Formats: sequence, structure tokens, C-alpha cells
Amino acid sequence: MNSRFFLLILFIAASISCQKENLTIVDREHIRAGGETTIFKSGPDAFSYPLANLRTELVTKHFMADANFAAHFVTSPAPVQDGLGPQFNQTSCESCHIRNGRSNRPQYAGDVNTGLLLRISLPGVGEVGQPLAVPEFGTQLQTKAIFGQEAEGTLDISWVEKMITFLDGESITLNKPEFQIKNPYIPLPDDLQISPRNAPAVYGLGLIEAIPERDILQNEDPYDADGDGISGKANRVWDLQTQTHALGRFGWKASTPTTIQQTADAFNHDMGITNFLFPRENCSDQANCNQLTDREFDIDEEFLTTTSFYFETLAVPAARNQDAPEVIKGKQIFEEARCSSCHLPKHVTGHHDLEELAYQTIYPYTDLLLHDMGPDLADNRPDFLADGSEWRTPPLWGIGLTQIVNPNATFLHDGRANNLEEAILWHGGEAKSSVEHYLKLSKSDRQSLISFLSSL
Amino acid sequence: MKKYSHLILILFTFLLLQTACKDDVDPIADETEDYSDVLHNIANNVILPTYSDLKERAEELADITSNLEINPTPSNLLAAQEAWVNARSPWEQSEGFLFGPVDEEGLDPSLDSWPVNVTDLNNVLNSSNNLTVEFLEAQEGTLKGFHTIEFLLWGEDGTKSIDEFTDREFEYLSAATGALANDAASLADLWLPASGNYIEYLLTAGDNILFPSQKSAIEQIVDALEIIADEVGNGKINDPLSSQDLSLEESRFSANSKADFADNIRSIQNIYLGMYGNAGNNKGINTIIAANNPQLNTKIKNLLEQTIILIENLPGTFSEAIFNNPSLVSEAQDYVRNIERILAVEVTTIVAEL
Repeated sequence: MNSRFFLLILFIAASISCQKENLTIVDREHIRAGGETTIFKSGPDAFSYPLANLRTELVTKHFMADANFAAHFVTSPAPVQDGLGPQFNQTSCESCHIRNGRSNRPQYAGDVNTGLLLRISLPGVGEVGQPLAVPEFGTQLQTKAIFGQEAEGTLDISWVEKMITFLDGESITLNKPEFQIKNPYIPLPDDLQISPRNAPAVYGLGLIEAIPERDILQNEDPYDADGDGISGKANRVWDLQTQTHALGRFGWKASTPTTIQQTADAFNHDMGITNFLFPRENCSDQANCNQLTDREFDIDEEFLTTTSFYFETLAVPAARNQDAPEVIKGKQIFEEARCSSCHLPKHVTGHHDLEELAYQTIYPYTDLLLHDMGPDLADNRPDFLADGSEWRTPPLWGIGLTQIVNPNATFLHDGRANNLEEAILWHGGEAKSSVEHYLKLSKSDRQSLISFLSSL
Repeated sequence: MKKYSHLILILFTFLLLQTACKDDVDPIADETEDYSDVLHNIANNVILPTYSDLKERAEELADITSNLEINPTPSNLLAAQEAWVNARSPWEQSEGFLFGPVDEEGLDPSLDSWPVNVTDLNNVLNSSNNLTVEFLEAQEGTLKGFHTIEFLLWGEDGTKSIDEFTDREFEYLSAATGALANDAASLADLWLPASGNYIEYLLTAGDNILFPSQKSAIEQIVDALEIIADEVGNGKINDPLSSQDLSLEESRFSANSKADFADNIRSIQNIYLGMYGNAGNNKGINTIIAANNPQLNTKIKNLLEQTIILIENLPGTFSEAIFNNPSLVSEAQDYVRNIERILAVEVTTIVAEL
């Protein structure tokens, strides 16, 4: 009788474990970070695949567009890929977005082979709310020029140490870069504002674009009405195509509304390539602006839209190792420390002209809103509605593969964090209580959180 | 009867326990085969010797062009052009594995940027800058590397004679080939166990952060093959052919495009067969495919061989063939595209199920 009773219990236990399995299937939805577009890759090319569900004819188009991403521009006149500069930061998209991932930060003062650039401005705002251009320099420092022309200057970098001590007594020394401009081609104004920007990864942009605006705005809490210490504010930026203000989604400060405008902006400011959205050279009205061609645009509309299509159709890789106990534990800590308040795990996309992107359940881990990140991260350079200490919550999908794709890549807007733990520790402002939570964790729990982030 | 019901209950319980977690099994965790021999052979006997040849021949090219600067004779020009072609071959044969240091250290753009920035090149030549290796190392990829050297050695229309060279061009050539040799040496060294030791990632695949399983390393190798097949079929051949525009042809100054494309396919063949010339023990991707689908393996081996023959047998130079024999070029292109499709679909499917 006893043994029978025991077996009955065992039977019930097995049945329950079965039900639990059904529950975990739902729970595993987040593995497909990009919904049906997700690719299951984890090697050095993990950021280099088209959407898994992309139609065959569009896969071909994607690979054709890949050639635009890899195209190196040269000085005019030339039969192909010309129009470079006269001032520029790099000669191709792939020079900064290494294997579609993050850039290397500069290794030394004057290092020009980096995907980190400096946005610059004067206090005040322009007519549509944009940062105020610096006379003779514009809004971005171009550190290179075609031969015989002057670059605007190079970047100077110095490091400041900061020591952090965990509750368990262990401590760690962090390094913060401070950027200045060296050898400007003419003197710079004293009230110059500088914002360093490391080139981010470029996959998943189409899905970000497809998140309905109302869903993003619904999470806004600019005056922290709910008193949780986390506000969240949408950026309103200038849309060049509609000539109206629009929700900012892209860039470290969410200062660009669409993938195509982000692409066009990068062509123009990073490479000196004019296009229909940015028809003037980045150095127009400047003393160093020679060698202008008389043609309308350096690249035509098709080249621009095809390149933008490439970014829209670069797939997000799936999460990995989700059954590992430390990952499961880390995910729980991610919630407990309230990282997930801003790095909002889940969204559902709405309509998108590219139907592969539409109505997907995705896990980008971002609310796409601006948050005050405290004085250590502040750039003190406003960008539309983003003030000097506010940054857009960056997506975390694929972040664990960052250094597998580019082992020299680092984290945060200026690339200061050598690893994910350093990135966490630099959070401040609205994320202060989350960091305090992290500092109190045991070493193994801290490691679990890192394991979870690394699994994304 | 009582006993019997016990048994049923036991059986049921067991079945439940067994099947309960079925959906949960991670297919990647289910690794059984050991592919160390394949990975070791590809890394040691294909990748390393390819890069070592590149390093050696780039060094030769630098030596010969330095000699050209001192003794500018027609035969020395010919020797320099030959040395370029010789150095180009292992580079093109390395394009089937464009991952690792070549990419991470910015060596690919430095060695092989295209097109040449001719406007800036002329401005540099007309300047008073000292044309040293250090000067060129600081320049953009489009002002150095294989194609800039090619442009200087052959000229825009491929007919440059020794009398047409200026002193500055000789100086530029010496500096550019010196920089190329340095880059090639860095690339080879970064893979070597005694130096950068990138090879270790492939040798210890399954036990390192880059390749958490042997399968993931094999996937990376196959993906890289697919990428170069795509580039040859849909880029290098397609761009000049579909637009009938020679300015889009990559090695047109030297008329070396056919050799470039054939060597790119050879790069795929080398990795596939696990052979580089006489090096290698024939354990390559073929080992994996043969075990799963012998007919497919035979098909791929034949296709690779036939494609190389078709490309090399195109009449005249590639520039000529585009205009005089476009249907033959299209046929070769179809073969290359077929390689790409088989790698992308059939081979990738087999590897995904390892």
C-alpha cells in the first residue's frame, strides 16, 4: 500500500513536471529575440545574416546591399564609388561597424583608425531644436581629409581612474576617457560641447523601426509620476523626409527617426557622401571646404535606400544557453535589480512595409526612451530633447556576442567599458539603485547576471 | 492484478518522466562526433601554409620592386609584375576564410582595398611628401595594398612600359610593397602558435569562447566559404558583366581577374578537400559531407573542379571575355552561383544537424 501510494505521488509529480514543461515553452519565447526573423548563429559572423524569414528575392537584394556596406569611397573624380570627403571620419560603413558590430575605441591620442567620433556643438538650439553647429566645424569633427586637404582636427584622449568597491570587499578600478580636440585647423570656441560616440552594432534596425510609436510613448514617465525613480522620456527629433518632428529611435541619444535618415546622416557626416536627404557637403560654409564636385549627389536615391534596406534586414541572433542555471539565476537578478525597467525585454512590432518585420514578438531589452544616466556618463551636450546627461536605453539583444564578432569592441557610448560588468558599474542617475543592488550581490550572483547578459 | 496495476503505474510514470523534457533538449548539446582531425587539418595544413605563402611572396614582391627602383629595366618590370601575380594567388586563396585577424586587425582593407583612390594617388605623387613605408601605413587602404601596387605596375590600361615610370612612382612602389609585406607578415604571424596564436581557436574548438562547440567552428568555416562564393558570383563577376562596365572589374590593370576568381574557388576547394597543394591529409568539409551524403560530396568536388576550369578557359582576358564571350562568362557565373547555393542550403543543412 505504501509503495502504491508512493508511485501515485510519483505519477502526479511526473504529470506536474509535464505541465511545467508546457509553461517553460512559453517562457522560452525570448530565445527568438527577433521573433520569426531570428537567426541561430553565435560565431564571428553572427551579426552578418539576413532575416531568417526574408523572401528569396529579397535575400538576393540583401546581399547586393551588403556590397554598399563594404564599399570604400574614393576622391572625385573617379569612375566608381567617388565623392569621399573632402573631410571624413572613415571611407566605408564597415570601417566603423566592424562585421556589423561595434567599433574599436581609439587606442591612443590621435588614433584615426577608430569608429569613435566626436559630435560637437555650441550651447543653444537650432531652428528645429537640433544642436547648434560650431561655425567652421559643423556638428561633427572629421578627423581625416582627402590628400592635400585639412582634417578638422584629431581627437585627444586622457583617462581618469575611478575605484568601485563591492559590499563583499572586492574592488575594481574603472577608467573613464576624457576627449579633447587636438590640432584643430582653426581655433575652436571656448564654449564647445563635445559628445563622443562609438559606432554601435547595426543589426535589428528594421524591427526597432517597426515598434509602434504608441507602445513606446506609453512607457514615458517624464516627471516620474509613479515615483519609482525612473522617468523615461521620448526624444522628438527632426524628420527630413516629412519635414516635421518625429519620435527619435536611433543613435545613442535617439536623435534620428528612421533607418534611412540614420544611414543618410552617416554617409554625409562620416564619409562626406552627399545624398538626397543631405545634399550639401558636411563642410559647406567652412574655410576648409574645397574640392566640391558640381554634381547633385555623390550617391543616388537607390544606393541610399538599398543601403538602408541592408540595415533593416540584418538579423538579430537568438539567445543562447538559456537552460544553464547561472543564466536562469541571472535573469531573475536582472528583474530584481530592475534593469528590466528600462531595458524592457519585450515588444510586439506593428505594421511595416517590409512584411517580414511586421507583427513580430521581439526581445530587444530597451524602452527606446531617454534616461538620466548620471554625471559619470553625461556628455553635457543636449541633442534635441535629450539633455546633457540623458541617453537612450540601448538594446541588449546580441550583446553577448559583441566581442566574439569583434574582440576589440568595448561597451557604452564612448567605449569606456571593457566588459559588461564595467558597463553596469558606470550606470548612474536613474539606474543608481540598480547599480547599488548589483554592488550588494555575492560574487557568484554578479557572475550570474553577467552570464545572463552574455547569453543574449 | 494488484501487482499488475503497480507495473502499469510504474511504466506510465517512467514514460512521463522520459518524455516530459523532450521539447527542452538543446540540439547543440547533443554533440557526439569528434571533428578534431578535420579542424586540425584545415587549420594546420590549409590556412597556415596559405598565409605563410602570402607572407613569403609579399616579401619577394617587396625585394623585387626595390630592385626595380635601382635597376629600372623592362625585364625587372616584368619580374615585378610576375612577383605581384605570385603574391596575389595565396591572398585570393585565403579569401575563403576571411575571419580572425584579417578582419579584426583591419588587415583586409589595408591589403586589398578597391577601388584605387587615383585622384589622391596622383596628388601624393605630385607632393613633396617622403614616400616611406611609415607614410603609407598611415594612409587609407585605397592608397595602398594590392590594387594600388597593381595600378602603378601596369597603369590604367595595363600597357605601362618602363619608360613611363617616374622616380616618385618607383619610390611609391617600394613603400607600398614594403607596407604590403609588413601586413602579410602580421597576418601570418597572428595565426601562428608561436605568435598571435589565433589558430588555437580552431584547434580547441568546443572549449573556447569563440567556438563553444566544434560544430560552431565548422559552421563558421562553411559560412566563410559561402560568403566568398557569393562575392565571386554576385559581385566580382556580376558587377562588370551585368553592366558591361570594366571600371567595376577588380584586377583589370593586370588582367589577372580570371586567376583571382579561379583562386577564390580554389580557396573553397582547399578548405573543402582539406588540401593545400601537397599539404593536408584530405580531411576537410568533404569528410563531413561524404559521411552524410556521398552523392552530394561527389557533386561538390566535381562542381568545384569544373568551375575552376570554366573560369580559366574563358577566351582572352576577363575584360575581353565580358564583351566577346558573355555567354561563357555567364555560364561560369552560374557554376559559381551553384556552388554558393549548395553551400548555403545543402551543406549548411548537414552541418546544422551535426
